[in-house]
Order: sequence, then C-alpha cells, then structure tokens
Amino acid sequence: MPANVIPSASVPWPAGRAMFRNVAARGLLRYASPVILVLLWQGTCSMGIVSTRLVASPVQVIMTGWSLLRDGTLGANLGVSLARAATGLLIAVALGVGFALVSGLSRLGEDLVDAPLQILRTLPALAMVPLFILWFGIGETPKIALVALGATFPIYLNLHKGIRSIDPRLLEMTRTLGLSRVRTIRDVILPGALPDLLVGLRFAVGMSWLMLVVAEQVNAESGIGHMMMEAQDFMRTDIIMVGLVIYGLLGLVSDQIVRLMERTFLSWRPSHRRGQAA
Amino acid sequence: MATIAPTGAGGMNAVFMTDRMHDAIAPRDGGVAVHGLTRRFGHGPAVLDGLDLTIAPGEFVALLGHSGSGKSTLLRTLAGLDPVHEGTLFRPDAVSVVFQDGRLLPWKRVWENVVLGQAGADRRDRALAVLEEVGLGHRVDAWPLTLSGGEAQRAALARALVRRPAFLMLDEPFAALDALARLKMQRLVARLWARHACAVLLVTHDVDEALLLADRAIVLDHGRIRTDLAIPLDRPRHHADPGFIHLRGVLLDALGVHDD
Ligand SMILES: Nc1ncnc2c1ncn2[C@@H]1O[C@H](COP(=O)(O)OP(=O)(O)O)[C@@H](O)[C@H]1O
Ligand SMILES: [Mg+2]
Repeated sequence: MPANVIPSASVPWPAGRAMFRNVAARGLLRYASPVILVLLWQGTCSMGIVSTRLVASPVQVIMTGWSLLRDGTLGANLGVSLARAATGLLIAVALGVGFALVSGLSRLGEDLVDAPLQILRTLPALAMVPLFILWFGIGETPKIALVALGATFPIYLNLHKGIRSIDPRLLEMTRTLGLSRVRTIRDVILPGALPDLLVGLRFAVGMSWLMLVVAEQVNAESGIGHMMMEAQDFMRTDIIMVGLVIYGLLGLVSDQIVRLMERTFLSWRPSHRRGQAA
Repeated sequence: MATIAPTGAGGMNAVFMTDRMHDAIAPRDGGVAVHGLTRRFGHGPAVLDGLDLTIAPGEFVALLGHSGSGKSTLLRTLAGLDPVHEGTLFRPDAVSVVFQDGRLLPWKRVWENVVLGQAGADRRDRALAVLEEVGLGHRVDAWPLTLSGGEAQRAALARALVRRPAFLMLDEPFAALDALARLKMQRLVARLWARHACAVLLVTHDVDEALLLADRAIVLDHGRIRTDLAIPLDRPRHHADPGFIHLRGVLLDALGVHDD
C-alpha cells in the first residue's frame, strides 16, 4: 500500500443559495418518487382497480402490522427469526474466519482447506434443504445450519483473499524490523485483511436473510416466514406484505450496522470508501 | 555482529578474515564487510558478481549505478532480506532500512508505526522524541495515508532511527519526492548522520546527492564495484565549490554520462 498517497482533496462545496436550493430540491425529489408510488398504490386499491385479496393497500398493511404488533404475534415471530439469523451468522463468522486463517496463513492449510471449500461453494446452498431436514429434523437446527452454511462462504472467500493479497512490501518491511510471526499476523495481516472481512460480512448478512426466508417457509412453526406461509392459507395478503416489509427493514438495518462497523474500524482510510458489496 | 556465510562454510570465516580482508577494518568494529558476494536469479546472469565492499563504522557511503545494476539487490542482501548463496558478509546486528516507498502500516498511527515491534512502557515517548527529531512532531497521531510523500519518508526515517542502528540502509529514499522536499530531506539526513554516527549506505541515482552527503561514492557496474571515489570535501558542501564540480565530472564519467 503506498504510504505516501496524498488523500484527494475534497471538492470544495459550491457555496451560494442557488446551489443549496438545487441540492434541497434533489433531496426532495429522491423521497418524492417513492411517496408518489405508494400514493398511486393506495389509489388503485381504494378505487377497486386491484382486488385487495391480491394486493393489500398500504393503509391495510400498516393497520395489520400495528395489530400484529399489539397482539404480540409480530414480536414473537420476529424474535425467533432474529435469533435464528444471529446464531447462524455467528457460527458462519466463526467457521469462515477460522477456515480463512488456516488456509490464508499456511500453505499446508490452504492445500487442506481451500479445495474442498471451493468445491462446496459451487453447490447452491438451498439445494441442501431436503438433506438438512433429513439430518437435523424439523427443529431449530436445520434452519440455523442453513443460515450458517450460506453465510460461511462469503466470509471465508473474502477474508482468504484479503490475507493473501496483503502488500508483500509491507511484509518485507516487517521482516527488516524483526517482527515475530505472531506479531506480524496481529499487526499486519489481520488489520490488512479487515476491509475484505467486512465486505464478506455484508454479503454474509444478506445471505443469512435469504437462507432464513427459505428455511422458515419450507418448514417452521414460528418466525416471520412461517407467519407469511400461514397467512397464505387464509389468503391474508396484508400479513404477507407485513412480512415483506419486515424482511426489507431487517436487510436495511443489518446493512447499516455493517456500514457502521466499516466506518468505525476502517477510520484509517482518509476518505472512507464505501464497500463494494451489493 | 552477525556473520552470514554460505551454508557449509562455517570454518571459512577465519580464512577470509586473514586473507586480503579489507585493510584496516575488522568487522567486529561495527562496520560492514562483503567479500566475493555473487547473486543470480534463477539461471540468469550474475546480478552481483564476486562483489567486495567494506564500510567503516560511522562511514557514509553513496551507492550509484544504472537502473538494474543490482543496487537494490545488494542492499536487500545486506538487510538480510535476500539469502547469501556465494560469498561472505559481516554486518552489525542493529541495522535499519528505509525504502523508496515509506511502507508504513496504514492502519497504525504514525507514532505506532515508528515503534512497531518495540517493547517497553516508554514506547510513545521514544516515538515522540524521534519524530520531533525528524521534524514530524506535529503529526504523531496522524494516519499514514494522510501524510505527504515527504512526511511519510520522515516517518520511515524515524522508524529506522528509533532502533539505534549501527548501520542504516537507504534505498533511493527521496527519489519520489519533489525537488524542494528532497533538499530538505538531504539536510535532515546529514544532520541525523552527524548526530547518530551510524554507518550509512545510501542508494541514489542523484550524483549531487551523493556528493552532498557521502564520504565515499561507489559505482556498481556489471555486478562489481568499478569506481570507489573518496569525497574529501568539508561539510557543509556547496554545489558551486570547485572540488564539488570536479568530483561531479568524475562521477558522471564513471556512470558513462558525459558532462558537456
Ligand atoms: N526477485 C527478482 N527476480 C528476478 N530478477 C530480479 C529480482 N530482483 C531483481 N532482479 C533483477 O536483478 C537486476 C538488478 O535489480 P535491482 O537490484 O533492483 O537493480 P537497481 O536497484 O540497481 O535498479 C535487474 O536486472 C532485475 O531485473
Ligand atoms: Mg533499486
């Protein structure tokens, strides 16, 4: 990493009222378009153009969401889903980081660990659902295992790449300073690979939600996915859409948390670059 | 004193020592002695070809040569980064290297980079003192990626000095700097060398830089030192000094560049 890179000077903020008004107008426009869409949606539902049996109106979704919240259904199911996602993700982080360290820090480790993981990675994780149900039954285990399986690979792949692509000139420099292997790992390799680990974590979080949706809709007695499947039996599109909104919010919030982690741990980057993860 | 000898040559050191071993310098003084050093990459031609070199304790030597002549290879071997396959090499244990690119860890603050791997409760104080010395006292807590090129090289110099080296190696440390920053850095190095009294090997492609700073300029050519030029000028030195101008002509000649 070139140490003598001068951070690109920030573009001076064009002063002046006209510019400010311009920016404000753009901000308004950004929010206006989704609001208009929601209003249109509400309009088509209210005027009976679309059957509310097929698409619940925004007002209906809000009302249903509120009542589900008040009777505790939403809270209970959300808690279960969160616990599953968090447990699975935690396992994935432990496994992914562990494997990446083993294969990133030693040639032998790479030979032993990398090839099997690269092969496993090409399997679509969701194809494991029937097998997981056979193996783990219908309790919490198959759901957590599915989340863990899906989320391990992005962590492993990114951290492994991060460790392998540490600037060799920095490693050479630590040799001239007589740094021990342990200190080199702690002070150079791990911090250098952290940006990649965080990119992997963002992918992994997205993957967790995807796995959870499938696991809870295929086979579950609780959780947001289960709540949505049950609503399907009673043709309650409003409840299904509450579930969709919740999933959307969960994705948004968890992504923000990882972004916050990036800002906190990567504060050494002069102009914090946004992660490349989608 | 580190003795780095080719494998299986354990008993040879004494022979070298009593051989034509470099005039006055006994290596245990803290100087550097290289004898018959040969280095090739793969089956290619020898980059260093039976090279002999001695540097007295506290001596400032400038190493010149065309690009690709093996300057960095020699320095890397002296630094212990490259192995010694053929030949012998004596050097002090306490050596430091500064590369052209500062090679600071971007995720550690400047002062932490300076005392990287150093133990002790007074780490920060030591870092502060040496950063003050190189004129970077106002940037101790900065992140390296926010430093200018000159500041990064000062930090790298501080990191080298905090280890109290008996032998300091500099591989084109100012080559990437603008002319003004380079002048300041040259003065700084002259000051630091006067104070720390360590042996210095400065790789440079700048003839004036060599003449400003060094006791001796050597020119690497076809894997050997073809020119070994003493620079007996008083310090501080000036470009306009007749002795300076004369030596510049000699050095440029040695480099195959003719000063018309
Ligand atoms: N790791 C390497 N592998 C193969 N060839 C190398 C390597 N390092 C240097 N060389 C070769 O050795 C020669 C000397 O290189 P170097 O010591 O970097 O020259 P200088 O620093 O004088 O410009 C060059 O021809 C270069 O291509
Ligand atoms: Mg070089």
